[in-house]
Amino acid sequence: MAAALTSVREIERQMSELRAEPGAGAPYQRTSVMTHTAWVPEEWVEAAEDVLSGLAERHPSRTIVLIPQPNQEDGLDADVDVDVYPASEGRAICTETIRVRLKGRRAGAPASVVEPLLLPDLPAFLRWRGLPPFGETSFEGLVDVVDRLIVDSTEWPALPRSYRGLAEIFDRVIVSDIAWARTSRWRPQLASLWPRIAQVERIRVKGTAAQAHLLAGWLRSRLGRDVELEHDESDRLVGVELDGKAAPFPPGDAPGAADLLSEELDRFTRDRVYEDAVRAAVR
Amino acid sequence: MATTQENPLLEGLQVRRTPDPCILVIFGASGDLTKRKLFPALYSLAFRRLLPEKFAVVGVARTEENDDEFRERMKEAVQSSARDEFRDDVWEALAEGMRYIAADFNDHDALNRLAGTLTEIDEELGTEGNRVYYLAIPPSAFESVVRDLGEHSQATGWRRLIVEKPFGHDLTSARHLNEIVEEHFDESEVFRIDHYLGKETVQNMLALRFANGIFEPIWNRQFVDHVQITVAESIGIEARAQYYEQAGAIRDIFQNHLLQLLAITAMEPPIDFTADSVRNEKVKVLRAMHTPGPKSVVRGQYGRGYIEGEEVAGYREEDGVDPQSTTDTYVAAKLYVDNWRWADTPFYVRMGKRLPRRETTIAIEFKRAPHPPFEELAAEGLQPNVLLVHVQPDEGVSLAIGAKVPGQGINIRTVHMDFLYGGAFRTGLPEAYERLILDAMLGDATLFTRIDEVEEQWKLVDAIVAAWSRDRPAFPNYPAGTWGPPSANELLARDGRSWRRH
Repeated sequence: MAAALTSVREIERQMSELRAEPGAGAPYQRTSVMTHTAWVPEEWVEAAEDVLSGLAERHPSRTIVLIPQPNQEDGLDADVDVDVYPASEGRAICTETIRVRLKGRRAGAPASVVEPLLLPDLPAFLRWRGLPPFGETSFEGLVDVVDRLIVDSTEWPALPRSYRGLAEIFDRVIVSDIAWARTSRWRPQLASLWPRIAQVERIRVKGTAAQAHLLAGWLRSRLGRDVELEHDESDRLVGVELDGKAAPFPPGDAPGAADLLSEELDRFTRDRVYEDAVRAAVR
Repeated sequence: MATTQENPLLEGLQVRRTPDPCILVIFGASGDLTKRKLFPALYSLAFRRLLPEKFAVVGVARTEENDDEFRERMKEAVQSSARDEFRDDVWEALAEGMRYIAADFNDHDALNRLAGTLTEIDEELGTEGNRVYYLAIPPSAFESVVRDLGEHSQATGWRRLIVEKPFGHDLTSARHLNEIVEEHFDESEVFRIDHYLGKETVQNMLALRFANGIFEPIWNRQFVDHVQITVAESIGIEARAQYYEQAGAIRDIFQNHLLQLLAITAMEPPIDFTADSVRNEKVKVLRAMHTPGPKSVVRGQYGRGYIEGEEVAGYREEDGVDPQSTTDTYVAAKLYVDNWRWADTPFYVRMGKRLPRRETTIAIEFKRAPHPPFEELAAEGLQPNVLLVHVQPDEGVSLAIGAKVPGQGINIRTVHMDFLYGGAFRTGLPEAYERLILDAMLGDATLFTRIDEVEEQWKLVDAIVAAWSRDRPAFPNYPAGTWGPPSANELLARDGRSWRRH
């Protein structure tokens, strides 16, 4: 690999060189519909790379992976990949991945690193791994430069308390939660139980804590009254009981991680139903 | 008189324009510009064999230095800054014609010595008395150098005067400088540099507009909603405090680069691509611009903030800056070009230091489709069409269009069709100074600003600055690394618009 790049200017230069790389029949066409930024602390790097590699073909984009390394000496350290996919006869499209390691104090103001690298005029998404530090400048600054924040509250400790900080930023940025997407097969299934479900008082969820709290919050906010939650831990959603009675299992297979993120990247509008569910989950 | 027959052997050969034999005299040869831009550009011209065979460069500056030291210093500059590989034979050929004269610009004897040296070179190399004088000197030295050059005008050959910005600091001073120039030089011999005009993408704006049939019919108030021009720099003032304190963004960028970009965007098609045809059209645009009211201009100054994750000082904390300085490092304005083509179409412009990224763009935002049947489905995904001209970095043009997302139903999303210079043409882009130095040697003033343009530009700046003297701005009003003061957003929000997103 080439020497690490240490400034935005070097990153820009490297990218334009890679795009013009001779060898392909025609010059690469940059195809992008968004900038996708991911905040990936060291412990998440492996999981994040897996998801990203499943994403590129479906969402041609520029991806900026930010890897905070606050315990190292101050500095930037980046590398750039341009991946080329054959599109049709003799043509190729490319997507760009920029990995930036933010060392020492550089990790404190990531927005100022991301902003020069955003593709002009296109939507910017931020995938935040783990529980965001609500209120801290590093996080708040990034929220201000993107259009949409994507989290997975499955990764969060201390639910439902942790939803409180999230509910406060709904007016500033559109939020997507992959944990919410993971309940998407179950919600129509439960909705089909109308009108009987209107009387439900207790919901028992066997799944992740995030799924349990979000489903309960959803029922509460939609029905406009309290519904009690019982939660059995499981790494995925395998069963829902309403007032002690098992709800029928929804059809089809649960979607994979890349599919879930991919679906969220297709949305542009606020999801009011989700926002209400989060608020009702905290109560 | 003998009949001149065209050389039949040249038919079908691509004959490049080569300038006449000449001497380039650089005043201010020890300065940054000479090192960073002029010599790397000269080297690249030499590399492509675009310089005349009989050619010499004479550097003049105050620093004590001999010819060899000058050559050595410039060699290093070329090695570190030129865009082409360093080749000894190319450099040696260029270095052979290099001389250096240490002189104070107010010292007439020294300039006499210069005249002597130039005559010697004429005899030695056969440069025929042709001279290009490049003034890369502070305004204070301008007057005496121009007078001396005027007095030493030679009997044979042509002479041309290249003048770097700033050309004055207001209308009065610009006129004064011009009077001095006019006494000794004809306007056709004066080449005022605005290096933005030497950039490929700026010239491409002309190609885009006037070589394509599809844009010009919609390039007017009927189809264009508004135009946005951004000249953003992420750097601060570097070591130029003394100059910048006096100039501010309004004189550093607005007066020249920005108004030139605007003129090129708004001008009528010239009848041909000669210097006067193009400049006649540009000056008409500048004349058609009326002074924006105080509510249509926003000024700003940066405070502390972050650039690329690093904390940077506020403007008032920079070396050599007055801690109470009210110099503007940011200007945004709403301008109107009052003519048939553009009446009522706002041109929003903004420029500043310490903004989040380095970017110069011209964005033509077209009116929305009158009745999109997809309104509900498109939600926030659909933006109006925008034609974006990226002047730097990533030179190119892109067009934002609404397209259907593949799949069920009809989901519309904005996509960009990008034309990137780096990808479409494999040749490297010439630096602006290469083009401009060569054009001046050839006597082609198309890409240089004429005195009437300069005067119109100053009139506009003077009117804006006059309004500023009445109040004391609450500076700093934007942190480094952000897109300027909040009032700049309000400027557009009042019209129901917003700056292009980033």
